[in-house]
Amino acid sequence: MSTQRVVVDPITRIEGHLRIEAMLDERGVIKDAMSTGTMWRGIEIILKGRDPRDAWAFTERICGVCTTVHALASVRCVENALGITVPENAEIIRNIMFLTQYVQDHVIHFYHLHALDWVDVVSALKADPAATAALAQAVSPSWPTASPGYFRDVATTLTKFVQSGQLGIFQNAYWGHPAYKLPPEANLMAVAHYLEALKWQKEIIKIHTIFGGKNPHPNYVVGGMPCSIDLNGDNCINIERLNYVKGLIEDATRIIEGLYLPDLFAVASFYTEWAGIGAGIGNYMAYGDVPQNGIGDVSKLRFPRGIVLGRNLSEVHPLDLSDASQITEEISHSWYSYPGGQQALHPFDGVTEPHYTGPKPPYEHLDENGQYSWLKAPRWKGNAMEVGPLARLLVGYAAGNTEIREVVNEALGRLKVPATALFSTLGRTAARGLESRLAVHWLMAEYEHLVANLKAGITGTADTSRWDPATWPAEAKGFGFTEAPRGSLGHWVHIQNGKIANYQAIVPSTWNASPKDAKGQHGAYEAALLGTPMADASKPVEILRTIHSFDPCLACASHVLGPDGRVLAEVTVR
Amino acid sequence: MSKADVKPTTYDVLRELGVDRRSFLKFCTMAAAALGLDASAVGKVVEALEKKPRIPVIWLHGLECTCCSESFIRSSHPIAQDVVLNMISLDYDDTLQAAAGFQVEEIRKRIMKEYPGQYILAVEGNAPTKDGGVYCTVGGQTFLEILRETAEQAKAVVAWGSCASNGCVQAAHPNPTGAKPVHKLIDGKPVINVPGCPPIGEVMTGLLTYILTFDRLPDLDRIGRPKMFYAQRLHDKCFRRAFFDAGQFVENWDDEGARKGWCLYKMGCRGPSTYNSCATFKWNNGVSWPIGSGHGCIGCSEANFWDNGPFYERLSTVPLPGVDSTPDQIGKVAAIGAGAGVAAHFASFLVRRTMSKDKPDESHVSADRD
Amino acid sequence: MATRVQALDVADVAARPHRYFRRMYVWQWPIRVFHWINAICVTVLFSTGLYIASPILAPAGEPYTHFVMARVRQIHFIFAFLFVVNFLWRIYWFWMGNNYARSGFPFVWRRQWWRDLFRQVGDYLRLKRGHVHLGHNALGGLSYTIFVIALGWAQIFTGLSLYSETVPSGFWGRLVGWVIPLLGGSFQTRMWHHLFAWGFVFFAILHVYIVFYDGQQYKNGLVTAIVSGEKFYQEGDIDHDTWLS
Repeated sequence: MSTQRVVVDPITRIEGHLRIEAMLDERGVIKDAMSTGTMWRGIEIILKGRDPRDAWAFTERICGVCTTVHALASVRCVENALGITVPENAEIIRNIMFLTQYVQDHVIHFYHLHALDWVDVVSALKADPAATAALAQAVSPSWPTASPGYFRDVATTLTKFVQSGQLGIFQNAYWGHPAYKLPPEANLMAVAHYLEALKWQKEIIKIHTIFGGKNPHPNYVVGGMPCSIDLNGDNCINIERLNYVKGLIEDATRIIEGLYLPDLFAVASFYTEWAGIGAGIGNYMAYGDVPQNGIGDVSKLRFPRGIVLGRNLSEVHPLDLSDASQITEEISHSWYSYPGGQQALHPFDGVTEPHYTGPKPPYEHLDENGQYSWLKAPRWKGNAMEVGPLARLLVGYAAGNTEIREVVNEALGRLKVPATALFSTLGRTAARGLESRLAVHWLMAEYEHLVANLKAGITGTADTSRWDPATWPAEAKGFGFTEAPRGSLGHWVHIQNGKIANYQAIVPSTWNASPKDAKGQHGAYEAALLGTPMADASKPVEILRTIHSFDPCLACASHVLGPDGRVLAEVTVR
Repeated sequence: MSKADVKPTTYDVLRELGVDRRSFLKFCTMAAAALGLDASAVGKVVEALEKKPRIPVIWLHGLECTCCSESFIRSSHPIAQDVVLNMISLDYDDTLQAAAGFQVEEIRKRIMKEYPGQYILAVEGNAPTKDGGVYCTVGGQTFLEILRETAEQAKAVVAWGSCASNGCVQAAHPNPTGAKPVHKLIDGKPVINVPGCPPIGEVMTGLLTYILTFDRLPDLDRIGRPKMFYAQRLHDKCFRRAFFDAGQFVENWDDEGARKGWCLYKMGCRGPSTYNSCATFKWNNGVSWPIGSGHGCIGCSEANFWDNGPFYERLSTVPLPGVDSTPDQIGKVAAIGAGAGVAAHFASFLVRRTMSKDKPDESHVSADRD
Repeated sequence: MATRVQALDVADVAARPHRYFRRMYVWQWPIRVFHWINAICVTVLFSTGLYIASPILAPAGEPYTHFVMARVRQIHFIFAFLFVVNFLWRIYWFWMGNNYARSGFPFVWRRQWWRDLFRQVGDYLRLKRGHVHLGHNALGGLSYTIFVIALGWAQIFTGLSLYSETVPSGFWGRLVGWVIPLLGGSFQTRMWHHLFAWGFVFFAILHVYIVFYDGQQYKNGLVTAIVSGEKFYQEGDIDHDTWLS
């Protein structure tokens, strides 16, 4: 039996460095797959011995695409360890920044990282601007820029760009590949919106700048938020800043409702066969987020917490992050070693000793039976899990959350597909859009909550009673969590004498991009690739579609853990 | 005839787009203003954009977090779209590239061959050097190797962000992967350092536009940063400076001083040690900047800023092996030690003197003198 | 006012010469002036420096009515420049002054100097009078070299480089701006400048004590010498500054 091995390295249009090796059978269907994080920075090792109040800044630099989420998980983690409850306003501002990140990140992902898997830029050259305008108006009647003249301008831009012979980022791609199904007009519309979204994403993010001073990488503080509110002052948050935020939220709502969702549905309707491809593991996990009664009350999260196993939407399993028996990290296929040959450890006890056993670069192939990744394999009670927008929606759906059920059911109705269609590559891509819809809605609700507080005279943004390290216990342990755009993110800290003794993060892309575990269970990427038919092994569009549907973030995934701080780094080069 | 000779210029492209000459000139004026140039320079901008084919750019990603790319697309003048489609030819960039796998690597090799000495190498992130560079590989090749290979034929190297220009977070103590900034890894090429975690978007597009417009590299300071963006400390341009001079400081988060916008110096603000443009054109099209939003500067564009912590203290601990104390702690211990030594010595001197009171007058003359 | 001066007993002087003190002009006026200006500068610089690092006054009201921090910094800078000029003056006098102006130099290549260094440490510890020096003893010279000269240079370089940060391309920036990247950046340069400052405190405590102790033990007028320039010795005292020449 002939097998073909397809290597895609680098996987582009993601954050960080990912390599996929897929083994095809004689029919060109993927029968085995290997996901490899090819980068390691050791940020948790670096964190050891530092002031826990600084940790947010270090961990924020784990990722600049999903910026803020690590900072948020980190401040929550340290606050949990030190017993700090942040003022409600700080919680709301954090929620606003968090939801802002969703909207911006999901839009960027859809248009700039994922769209080119579905949209053929070169085909757009053949589009008729008038027909495109008609299509655009049918798809989204409310969207203002949809005239034939507008699309003619875009088409001219594109034509000139292509004719210049300098194709830049669009060269050498898979244009004309049979897997591209959109008519030229839809392609042209998508290209036009690629450019519009690129222009808009820099606006929504100004919410971060207002509260956090800059983006990427806005500022947080342990105990609250650094931006004070004084309605009668001009040196901090006042009515002008609030109006600015409100206007940006309104714009975001217009973009999501008038551009993103219509485009998503329009494109998805041409690719409904992808609702049957890329299902993957079928276990979904969400830590939950957007607290309504302080982060300590997990029953009042807008995104509910829980676990769905085996695609069974009638049951939600409970999840406890502090329970050492629930979450472990395994290393049987990772370039690490644990003391005493152990194979799985809880994050509070985790160890990181890089132990490279791969081939000496430059290399052609990695060995799927050996160790092959800088990512560990996190497992929940021994099960591989998928995290991310789809997991959040499914957990919320299964938990009977009315808001989530409403948007999901509406979408299923529009695409005329059953709920099982969600377990797929398309489901994952659609979930991101539906979630953005929830996000803009919640953004306004959070904003109004903040304004109501200010009206009631509640203006505090920070609790500084435990700011001074002298007020801390000699020993403290804590964990913090958030639902990053790409899925459940957890940080665990052990503070000793005012310094970090241990720091550990398990990030969404580690769950999703994880290599196999000792039992041979694939991670979510790998599992989702199995059974995918490929039209042309040298043009791996199909692999990119499924991998991109997860929105990989490899700088996150492969920063990996260094709780005991020992770096042995024995490198055995074969 | 080489490919470069037939390339349409930026003006050609804009012209074909239906942009009339008036709008084009307006654009050039704005570009010039964004670069801080006076009216006489507008002509040069016009000329540059009218006559030159787009310059190929290879944008590599090493050990990084992609915040620089994100910042780049946040630029508002010019917007990233204009830079990527009309000014440069971004031929290789793993974050935005349509193609993947060997097709991308092919592009990089082709550009190196077709445009020797003509392309700009932009580097985001840095290279791990420990253990043969296995901590970052692309297409099975170490990033270290890719960086050196691509730099060889580059016209100039732009080191985006603190990773590429001074090491940043992965190079913080104990630097587990042996990460090193670009200028320490390649020789014989002009390297422009654009530090910041990330740099401001307009700084990034401004630098590229400067090079394209004037066809030369900008003036660099002692450590390779463009003077146009890194010539002055935030502190010297800070809107809270009046409070610093008056001695009015925020003492804790959200206190009275914080609400009045007093100086963040005592909250550990690194403004007095940080060179960047944050205080002048701010972030995200001038909306705010860290100090403007109530948090001190963490000095993200300065070398080794991660190891200057804690961020909320004015003085770091003394960076000597085995020492975990601040200068004040060490100084006080030294002073108390000196005082104690003096006291002990004086006490024994007094004892000795009392005991020898009854000795003859010449007692002070020591025996070995006689 | 009448003063009774006892006539010198010439016979006793001849018989017991070591009971009588002789005067020697050792510290020329430039040295003494340097010493006192330096002492004042260091005191002012240390206290203003500490204040700059942790400003404790918290004036209320509008900022334009206060100038506390700026004033303290201004004083620090003025005395810093005085310190530099004074310091360079002392360096100049090293060559222009008398032999004693050079007696503090660590002649590490001379065996005599090392012998004197250890003997002096031993004498101090054992509270013995030991050998007499008209200039500096080796231990004193070494401590001045470290805590006045080397530390002085360190503070001048770090201090001026920090001063230059406002205009890195200006005169001071070109002259000493290279110090900052050498020490790992501006923030680290501040840290070293601050740490070195404590060296002066450490030195001052020992210096003042030793001067009083030495003056008492050796009866050499060491305390007044830094005002008058004159030191005393007795017949029979041996000037052990032999390693000087």
